[in-house]
Amino acid sequence: MSDGFAGAVTSSSENELLRAFVDMADTLVDEYDVADMLHRLAKYCVSLLGASAAGLLLADQRGGLEVAASSDEGTRMLELLQLQTEQGPCLDAYRGGESVRVEDLSAEAARWPRFARQASAAGFQSVQALPLRLRRQVIGTLNLFGRGPSPLAGSSLGVARALADIATIGILQERAIRRGELLTEQLQHALNSRVVIEQAKGVLAHAGGVEMDAAFDRLRAYSRAHNERLSEVAEAVVRGELPPEQVLGED
Amino acid sequence: MNQAVPGVGDFAEAVSPMLSNLLAALREGRDVTAPLAEVCGAVAELMPVDGAAVSLIVEGSQRVLVLASDQVVEHLDTLQFSLGEGPSFEAFATGRPVLVPDLSRSLPESWPVFGAEAALAGIGGIFAFPLRRGAVKLGAMDTYRRALGCLSEEELATILRGTDLVTSALLAVAAAGAAWETQGGAVGAMVRDRAVVHQATGIVLAEFAIPAEQALARLRAYAYARGRLLDDVARDLVARRLHPREIEE
Repeated sequence: MSDGFAGAVTSSSENELLRAFVDMADTLVDEYDVADMLHRLAKYCVSLLGASAAGLLLADQRGGLEVAASSDEGTRMLELLQLQTEQGPCLDAYRGGESVRVEDLSAEAARWPRFARQASAAGFQSVQALPLRLRRQVIGTLNLFGRGPSPLAGSSLGVARALADIATIGILQERAIRRGELLTEQLQHALNSRVVIEQAKGVLAHAGGVEMDAAFDRLRAYSRAHNERLSEVAEAVVRGELPPEQVLGED
Repeated sequence: MNQAVPGVGDFAEAVSPMLSNLLAALREGRDVTAPLAEVCGAVAELMPVDGAAVSLIVEGSQRVLVLASDQVVEHLDTLQFSLGEGPSFEAFATGRPVLVPDLSRSLPESWPVFGAEAALAGIGGIFAFPLRRGAVKLGAMDTYRRALGCLSEEELATILRGTDLVTSALLAVAAAGAAWETQGGAVGAMVRDRAVVHQATGIVLAEFAIPAEQALARLRAYAYARGRLLDDVARDLVARRLHPREIEE
């Protein structure tokens, strides 16, 4: 189906994205060092995406930001400066949860006086700050700096975003592991709870002679009325711990 | 699917955009059923086989089909689910690839019924791979070829690279989905395909007051004894064309 040779023109950043992705998956399974993964991510951004420098800000669990990784010491200082002065594109991206892109930092002296001056003095002209976000939770930012008007090679923004997503999932997963939650159980549990809900619908439909949709409505009504999770009510029905009549009898 | 054995670059070009979509869906909290199937589909396209299917395996005997690249391999999945046996159950259970290059010559002892059925469906060789990383077992990938013969070393390496990618995608879904609501979140929609079987399981367990696993086993035995697929028997039960009393041991 494929001609098998299309890979010759593939950009190396896509190759590396896959490698980073598989790498990350390893880190999801075993105990690993988040700092090391973030450091690698910062390096990837420079070597693959054409950024001149990269840094990562990460919120600790109390919401305070810290510099988690940087491609070099100068970038680390720029990130620290933003934290100290509480201003800069990376902080804006963190607070707003949206990507911030600036192509000419020298024109932003009014917006971020100290940061714009220092970044220009360090030879940077542009910056792209990407929030590390999963749904509504923003846990930090990935920041790319450029010596020219663009912090990234043309098509690399998508790859940068994917790398940021990978890092976000990795960080959150590491926190989940520290809370004692096991990955195997999470997916199995999510799937299994759906299976059990369907089974409970079958039990109720049979016991009450009602259609599946009606059975589901009763199940949901019962779980709401009793302030219990749908999957827990379903489990009790399937195990025979909660008689179907009790669920069917309530509206 | 592919004559020339693809290298890393082919995977990168074909899979990267799909992967970005999947990650974006996870980031935004959207249903990942379609983007996950696209990642698996892009990988399957590059496999040196005629068809590939990706299944999540739940609690050992339930399975959720994430992708089937063609109807033949989809039928193989249905058959395995129906019988409760087959190469991908074995790959999942043992954590090792199950390589059967010629189904007509050697019917594996652990899944005789499935093997015979698959040979009838025109399958030459079946190759199943566990989708696992470390101690985390997620599911399995079934692949088949019409022609007989072993996978070359190179072909095997390509398939393993593909299963690595698919496993990584499943892990990302598992990890990102974990932060979500317990009602199924990102993966809830995947179960929908087999909903009718789970509902039928509920009907049977209610009729006989037995555990769900036992009810499913009875359904499987009933379907097998009548030469029918589990899905079809389940549909009859849910539509009340068949009374659960019939599903005796």
